[in-house]
Amino acid sequence: MSPIGSVNPLQATALSRIDAPLPKIGLPQATPATTGPSEGFGPMLDGLVGQVQSKQAAAQEATRKVLLGDSDQLHQSVIAMQEASVAFTMMVEVRNKLVESYQELMRMQV
Amino acid sequence: MNLISGIDVTAGALNAQKTRLDVVAQNIANAQTTRGPNGGPYQRLQVSFETELVKRTASGGATLQSVRVASITPDRTVGQQVHNPQHPDAGPDGMVTMPNVNMSYEMVDLITASRAYEANLSVVKNARQMAMKALEIGR
Repeated sequence: MSPIGSVNPLQATALSRIDAPLPKIGLPQATPATTGPSEGFGPMLDGLVGQVQSKQAAAQEATRKVLLGDSDQLHQSVIAMQEASVAFTMMVEVRNKLVESYQELMRMQV
Repeated sequence: MNLISGIDVTAGALNAQKTRLDVVAQNIANAQTTRGPNGGPYQRLQVSFETELVKRTASGGATLQSVRVASITPDRTVGQQVHNPQHPDAGPDGMVTMPNVNMSYEMVDLITASRAYEANLSVVKNARQMAMKALEIGR
């Protein structure tokens, strides 16, 4: 048993691991973390909508191929649809957050 | 952007299991075929899998191994000999070589492929649920 207050090497490495910076989460290219002041919400949202649109187009293409008999990858088409659905939900969430912050700003007393 | 993690791996596995199911279907369908393109009776096919490295995503994360069909090889064992002199493929002694398809083996393969497919579908479902739960953080 180690006395209270002292840290054994195993705990030390664990603590240093906790203190280490978190790895960056892969955000889509459309929403860069450093949006300069010249860029507004417009281009950012535009990029996001474009990515979601391309996902939906990919899902549509996969489904079309299955329906036309060009491919028998039924699961691929359903997976593509699910991916498009998740991307769409993410876009809606981002929009909700943006609108929320906009309304918060409008409510601000000057 | 790859929102649902690990989906490429699962997609590969689903594809491989589907191929296996197709091969089982072919074996069962040809269980009575006494003449194939090579002139002899049908030989049952076996599928083997191999791992396949999936390209690492730009955002990092583990290098994942998917699965793909390595080969589809015929089973060379000789089929059952049946005495049937009226059969067009009967030999001079009246014996017909039937395909080496064993229905019980095929049924076991069928169920295994089907269950493996289901297991991979559960992975897809759970990965999607995880993504949706992650999107609920902001609420």
